Order: sequence, then structure tokens, then C-alpha cells
Amino acid sequence: MKKIELLFPELCNIYGESYNVEYLKRSNPDNIEVIETNHRDIPAFVKEGVDMVYLGCTTERKQEIIIEILKPYKERIKELIDKNVIFLITGNSVEIFGNYIKDEDRVIEALGIFDFYSERYMKKDRHNSQFIGKHEDLTLMGHRSQFSFAYGEFQNCFINIEKGIGMNKETKKEGIHVKNFFATYSLGPFLILNPYFAKQLLSTMGLDDKLCFEKEILEAYEYRLKELRRTIK
Amino acid sequence: MIRFYIALWASKFAMWVYKLRGGERNDRPGLLAFKICPDFLKRISKPPLVICITGTNGKSTTSALVNNKLVSEGYKVSFNDWGANLYAGFALNLMRCVTIFNRSRYDASVLEADERTLDVSMGMIEPNYILVTNICKDSLRRNGHPEFIFDIVDRTFDILGDKTMAILNANDPISSQLAHNSRRVFYGMSDIKADPFENKVKDIAVCPYCGDYIRYNYRLYRHMGDFYCPTCDFKTPESKYYAKKVDLENRQMIVTENGQDTVYPLISDAVYNSYNVLSCIALLREIGREKEDIAEFLKSQQVTKIRETCVEYKGIKYYTYGAKSQNISAASTVFEYMAKEPSDKDVVLLLDELQDKNHPTETLTWLYETDYEFLNSPNIKKIIVGGHMFLNQKLRLLLAGIPEEKIVCVENEADIPQHVDREGIEKVYVLFEIDCLTKARNMRDAIVRKAKEEDTK
Repeated sequence: MKKIELLFPELCNIYGESYNVEYLKRSNPDNIEVIETNHRDIPAFVKEGVDMVYLGCTTERKQEIIIEILKPYKERIKELIDKNVIFLITGNSVEIFGNYIKDEDRVIEALGIFDFYSERYMKKDRHNSQFIGKHEDLTLMGHRSQFSFAYGEFQNCFINIEKGIGMNKETKKEGIHVKNFFATYSLGPFLILNPYFAKQLLSTMGLDDKLCFEKEILEAYEYRLKELRRTIK
Repeated sequence: MIRFYIALWASKFAMWVYKLRGGERNDRPGLLAFKICPDFLKRISKPPLVICITGTNGKSTTSALVNNKLVSEGYKVSFNDWGANLYAGFALNLMRCVTIFNRSRYDASVLEADERTLDVSMGMIEPNYILVTNICKDSLRRNGHPEFIFDIVDRTFDILGDKTMAILNANDPISSQLAHNSRRVFYGMSDIKADPFENKVKDIAVCPYCGDYIRYNYRLYRHMGDFYCPTCDFKTPESKYYAKKVDLENRQMIVTENGQDTVYPLISDAVYNSYNVLSCIALLREIGREKEDIAEFLKSQQVTKIRETCVEYKGIKYYTYGAKSQNISAASTVFEYMAKEPSDKDVVLLLDELQDKNHPTETLTWLYETDYEFLNSPNIKKIIVGGHMFLNQKLRLLLAGIPEEKIVCVENEADIPQHVDREGIEKVYVLFEIDCLTKARNMRDAIVRKAKEEDTK
């Protein structure tokens, strides 16, 4: 039985993010156990072995709460990354793992696990865009809708953007990929959008990579990719 | 001041030209005024009564009711009922209220207002009343999330202070927390045994003050209900206007105010429309209208045609019904209504967002924020989806547990009518994204036409 920890779904499921974990579970219901951890509990990854940790997008206020919750476990998170535990981090939760977040005059210290920082632009229009990019030999799609961007070298990026932008408007490097730690600004049900990556995660956990409604999700992926290639600037 | 008058005259001239061309509702003159004079909204004279109605859902219906009431009394009212609920629409609305010398010539302005720019626009307009229907999940692209919208609306009240009376929904744990430093009154509802479905994605789950889980004595729909925090004193505020009994079937409710009960008619059998009527009553009472007059007026009212129309052919009712798609709280609430409205029905989904030109391919997120699971109901016989999202819609419907034989997904929307049944159903609902009203009516008419053609063969 593989354990997937869904962190703080009451705070981090604002754009349907929890469906990422639900979809994995429904693809392999007999071999996946989902542990839902709320923000008042100690995360399961602190006490026991888990195979995957998922953290989704959240609001700016909740993002700061989550940083404080996770700070005591920074070393444990590093240890799990070193041990090849899968982390999937989507939306603005990626910023939690950087050095700090700037919000006008405020500087919010983050976990500092990876060397970058983020900056919020709450008074400007929300940035919305989509992207197509490559992760190894997989073509991935993503959509971002955000008030903030991240800045740094991003030498270990998750996705090399072909069309669209990366962690900020000046880079084609999107997200972070170190061992089995994957983070991307793309929000919502990233694995529904990218079924081949969902397959990769199942395989990495040592499970059969057959997906729930596989025929339908792959058809939707191919159609969408074709459409996005045609329409994205 | 010269700049203002140039803006006023230029935009009035533009308005006159548009009127001659039959484009009276085009808000470009308002945009022109705003571009020439950025503080146009501040400088323009206001009518004696300015009412702003905002919130995620219900503002069109509520503002239409308020406008209709004032017009029925012989008031000269300017109302932006054409959906222009941003700066340009406000500028046009208020421009109509003044002479070329900036003297007020209308009795009232009713401003249906988008929340996103409320602080700047209403900060300049300084309305007498702001009614907030609710704050729920809306389109992520524009509105981000409810906390962000709450901050904008709250900032508006901070700017306005005592100049403006806030009329708030006591049952909304989000918007009831607005305007702590302003004059405010609340409207609320008792436990009407609404038996609401549980939403997958919550608009608010934890107490905004202490972080404990919000609990409910009862819920009405989505996060609306009699809420409290078990740890701190966060709870439903006391309502001045309290719907103590709501009879959806017979379409009436009893509202208690200062210990006295009044029976008011409702405009539909949906819980969310009861709230719209209740909020309208609260506002009309605050501006001094008599209870009996309001009750009498409501007898003649119905849901605005922007949201709902119906034609009947051979015993089957064919509806267009606004669902808003990427405004996921509205879409989920309508899906819940589809399940609870007991008729056997086919449901057509025309929910592609066409207006957002910067995003030719829609995001998937709203499909997984919206409770498609609610459509898995025995009285919904078939779900027919058209448009470029058809494959993603099919996947979402399957994941929601809807049997495959009930799902028809076609790329070309023109193919939809041929899949709509006539046997074993009482109603057909065409649920549409509100920017596509004409398209929805055309689709509904095509479905009816197809039925008529079958009969003539």
C-alpha cells in the first residue's frame, strides 16, 4: 500500500487541487491510501513514512500560515527529498519552498529549501496565462493565474517552457525539480491536465500506471494540446 | 474642472450619437468620460439616492428588483441593467442623471457593481447604500479567491466610513464580516430545511480570526447558514430582517422585523433567489418603503429574463437558465437546483467561456471546482454538452459518477438539438454562461424547432 499525504485540503483546495490526489487514488484504489492532514495536525510525513506529499494552491494569508506550520519540519522535508519521496507542489505553494516572499514593504521568510524568492503584486491585475513545455520526454501543459512571480536561477527547473512564460515573465524555466520533488506554478488539477505525468508518478511509486478513464483522459489531453499549440501566443 | 466638463460634454455627445444609432446601452461614452477625466465619477453630481448592489451572485436580480420598485413609484432612475458594472458603466449611468451643466435631473441611480474595482469606483461615487449579496468563489482569472475580493470590498467601506450604509448578508461568514467601522444592518434566514448539498471546494472552511473549523447550526446553500466558531466569538450576526419561514413551494416568506411579521411573495422556488428577494426587502425598508407596498410590488415580479426564460411546446417546458460556468459558486448552485427541482429533465450545458479573448483555450480548473457530482441525479435523464471543451467535459462527468449512457458530448454545438429527448421528460434546461444569452436562446429555439419539425414530418 502506498501512502499519499494530502496536506491541508481545507486551505489548499481553492482551484480543485485536491483532485490531483483523488485522481491518483481512483486510478489505483486498491494500492493507494490517502492521508488527509488538516492544518491543526502534525503532518504524517513527520512521524511516518509516506510515498508522496501533495500541497496545492492557497490564498496569500493562508500561504503565510502554512509557512509557519511547515517551518519546524524544514529539515525533515529536506531529508525526505533526499530519500526520493515524491513531492508535488502546485500553484503559489511553490513559493513556500523559496527563501522569502516580498509583499510591498513586508518580507515574509519562507522555508528556504530552494534558492529563489517571490514577489507579490496584489495591486496589479492578476496574471493569467497558459504554457506548453517539456519535462524530460513528456510534453506538459499548465495554466497560471497569480498575483506573484518568483525570481532566481532555477537551474533545476521542472519544465522547460516552449510556449508561455516560466517562473516570471523573463524566464522560460518553470518550477523546481530535484530528485522526486516537483513544483510548478500551474494550479488546479495538474495531473488531469497532464495524464502522462500522472502515469509517471504512479510508476515512480512502483504502481501500475493504468489511469482512471484512461482512454477519455488521453483523448482530452491530445485534443487540448493540439488546440493550445494552435492558439497560445 | 475644465477637464471634467470636456469629459461630460464629449461623452454626452457620444451618448447622443450612440442613441441615434440605437446603441443607447453602449458604455463607450462612459469609457470616454473616464479616459478624459479619471476622477469623473467623483466630480459628477449625484442624484439624491445612489444605491450600489454588489456581491458575487445575485446582484443582477436584486438590483433589477430595486430598480423596478423605484420606477413603479414614478421615480426617474438610472440603472446599468445592461451588464456594464465597471467604471464605464457607472460613468454612463451617472452621466444620464445630470444636465450638461452637471445638475442632477434624476431621482435615483441604481448601480450594479462588480466587486473587483469597488474600492476605487465607489470611493469616488460615495453611494448612500451598498448592499452586498454575498462573497463566493468566482472566476479565478479576475477575482482570484474570496479573500482577495473581501479585502477590496472591506477597503471600500473603510474609505467611505459613515457616508454609506452597509446592508449585509448575516448568513455569509465572508461578507458578514465587512464594514466593521460603518453603519450596517443585516438580513438573514432561519433554518428552512434546505438540505443543501456539500460542495467539494469550499469558499471558506476555517474561522478567519482563529483558524478553527467553522461549524453550522444549519446551512442554506454553499457556505450560507447559521455559522459559528467553536473557539472564538465569530458567529452569525443578528439580523434586523429575518426570514423566519420560507415556503419555496408556495413562493412566499415571512420576514420578521422588530418583532413584527410580514408575508412577502417570492419570485422563484430557488433558495438563492429567496435571498435576493430578502436583500431587496432589507434595502427597500432601509430607504423607507412600507412593508405592504413592497409585498404588493413583489407579486408582480419575476426572475430577470437575463437569467431565465421559458417556452412551452407540447407539454414540455424549454428553459434558458443562467449558470455562469467559470463563476463556480453559481454553476454549482444551479447544478444543485437541477437535481432538486423534481421534474424529469434533459440538461444542455453551454458553458464555454467565449469572452476572455486573451485565453483562447480555457483552463480546466473550474470543471474541478464545480460540483458536477450534483448532476448525478435520477431526475436528470441526459446531459448534453457541446463546444471545444467537450472531451474535458465528458471526462469530468464520468469522474462525477454519471453513467456514460446519460452523457452526450459533441464538439459542434449545432449537433446538440438532435440529442435532446422528448419522451419521458417534462423540461429541458439550457444552462448557459451569462455572456452567451443570445446563443442560449438560439440553442433553445433550435431544440424547439427540431421538435416542431419532427411533428410536421
